[in-house]
Amino acid sequence: MNPKYLFTELIHRPGRTMTVVFSVAFGVALYISLQAYSTGYRQAARAPLALIGADIAAQRQGDVPETFEGPVFPHSTAPIHPDEVEAIQKLAGVESIGEAVLFWDFEPEQFLVVLGLVPPVSADEAVGPGRLMEAVQEGRFLSPIDHRLAVADISFAQENDLNLNDSVTVGGLSFSIIGLVDTSRAGQVANANIYIPLADAREITGKAPNVLSVHDFHPGDSNILFIKANQARSEKVSLEVKALLGEQALVSSSISFTEVLGASFHLIDQFGWVVGLVGLLVAIAGLIRAIATNLRERRRDIALMRASGWLRSNIVGQLTSESIILSFTGGITGIGLASVITVILNQTSVTIPVPWELSPTPHFLAGGALEKGLIIPLPAHIEWLSAIAAVTIAVASAAIVGIILGRRAANNKPAEVLHND
Amino acid sequence: MTNLLQADKLYKMFGQVSAVHGISLSLNTTDFLAVMGRSGSGKTTTMHLLAGLESPDSGKILFNGQDISKLNEDSLALWRRDNIGLVFQAFHLIPTLSALENVAFPLYPTTVTAKERHRMAVNRLEQVGMGQRLKHRPGELSGGEQQRVAIARALINNPNLILADEPTGNLDSETGIEVMHLLRKLNQEENVAIIIITHDLEVAKEADRVIRVKDGEIVKN
Repeated sequence: MNPKYLFTELIHRPGRTMTVVFSVAFGVALYISLQAYSTGYRQAARAPLALIGADIAAQRQGDVPETFEGPVFPHSTAPIHPDEVEAIQKLAGVESIGEAVLFWDFEPEQFLVVLGLVPPVSADEAVGPGRLMEAVQEGRFLSPIDHRLAVADISFAQENDLNLNDSVTVGGLSFSIIGLVDTSRAGQVANANIYIPLADAREITGKAPNVLSVHDFHPGDSNILFIKANQARSEKVSLEVKALLGEQALVSSSISFTEVLGASFHLIDQFGWVVGLVGLLVAIAGLIRAIATNLRERRRDIALMRASGWLRSNIVGQLTSESIILSFTGGITGIGLASVITVILNQTSVTIPVPWELSPTPHFLAGGALEKGLIIPLPAHIEWLSAIAAVTIAVASAAIVGIILGRRAANNKPAEVLHND
Repeated sequence: MTNLLQADKLYKMFGQVSAVHGISLSLNTTDFLAVMGRSGSGKTTTMHLLAGLESPDSGKILFNGQDISKLNEDSLALWRRDNIGLVFQAFHLIPTLSALENVAFPLYPTTVTAKERHRMAVNRLEQVGMGQRLKHRPGELSGGEQQRVAIARALINNPNLILADEPTGNLDSETGIEVMHLLRKLNQEENVAIIIITHDLEVAKEADRVIRVKDGEIVKN
């Protein structure tokens, strides 16, 4: 292969060079961009749970209380017993579990959504809404030794004119507010107005008549679990947790979030790679056509190579190298194009619908039936494995086409071509 | 003066047409031979056989004692690379390459370094009077200049034999005479044997010896 001749040919045949480079670039960019879009959505689907450091949220549906007075469990949450938590903890792939008790408190003067959680030592260790430790706007977050202290959602506090050190009554007990947090940072999952220590929540709900009337609730129980699992086994853990909690189980994971995404995502997720592959194949077809046309145009040059002492292998090597360089340049251009498309995709936002069960509010209250959604920028990014695969397919195709067509061209009789031209 | 080429009873058919019919000829190392004939007489096919671009159906071609009619395609290509320079009526220069690059073209697949290739190509272009047009592409050269570049290309491998097929066919008579004088000069200065295929008597007059071909046979030597 002579590089000088190779690059002279590429430069002095700009029409052909551009056609091949851009057709390959288009195919590669289409393939990579669709993958980036799809993986961006998949990653976005993980956001609601990822924001609270969990991979799975597990609940169990229960019965609706006869009256909505005092503390009650939303019907999407029924007790989960310690032996069940222990069994989940033993599942392969489960790394840690955050227990919580979520309840509604209907007081004569007010309605509260309350979440009892295990106060974390640090935000990084927290699995579940304990991550809100990072979202404290004023005061401090709950600590493991706190008792009868509460943290309030800052919006709720503003609406109800609550400040630090004010008291709030939950289930008839008085709690002093020690911090205000921005609940929106918890991914719209298990959002509450008031956050209290898990022990206090268990104490309140363990005595609440409208909890006990429909549930067999014991002091060590919880009603919502946040599970951190090994990424590779996350899907399997979801299924196993569901099986452990029985028919009434409500298990949310990134997979369940992708299931509620729009039809366009599902189309691209399922058929995007096919469309991308077809685009790539069309580009390769264009490449074949361009190479074949080029060889036809250069019949005389190839005959001259043969006549002036080039071996068949010299000719095939030269022509194949040209094809490979063209295709590789197209592939790299395609990656550049895909990068631009990905940056544009990143400017768009995606709404991930959060199921009512994960952040329940009573339907009969204003806005209670509204579906919540988490709006985040689409985290589209190039999958480098896909990019390398696309460029490899393009370059390998160019090499194969170059060899096949080059050999055919090298077999033409130089005497015939040089005499007739 | 030693024998360079010995062609013995060459036959070549294309379908039912006998293009070459029992041609035999002999060439010494510094001979300047013209093969004359009308269109379709078989003179170009004869040249192709002698250049190893076509294989004879029967007969033998000995070049420096080696029977080239038995060589395969790649061996023939290597043999041409070492021994033969070809000049065509239509010049057949690569349009994307400069004059210098066109002359160096036969050496691209060899082990000759780029620097040496450049030096050799410059020398050959200067030898044919094209030293001032090194960077020009074929489209920027006149017909006569293009043929000079083609002759320089034919010389780049220091051949023993130059085979020229109607080298003046696309040139006006004055330029044609100049090209013939150049070939004659190279024949004498470089001691390279030359076979010219032509239908033009004026061109053939430049040669030391003339063979007339008709219907694939030598009718006059």
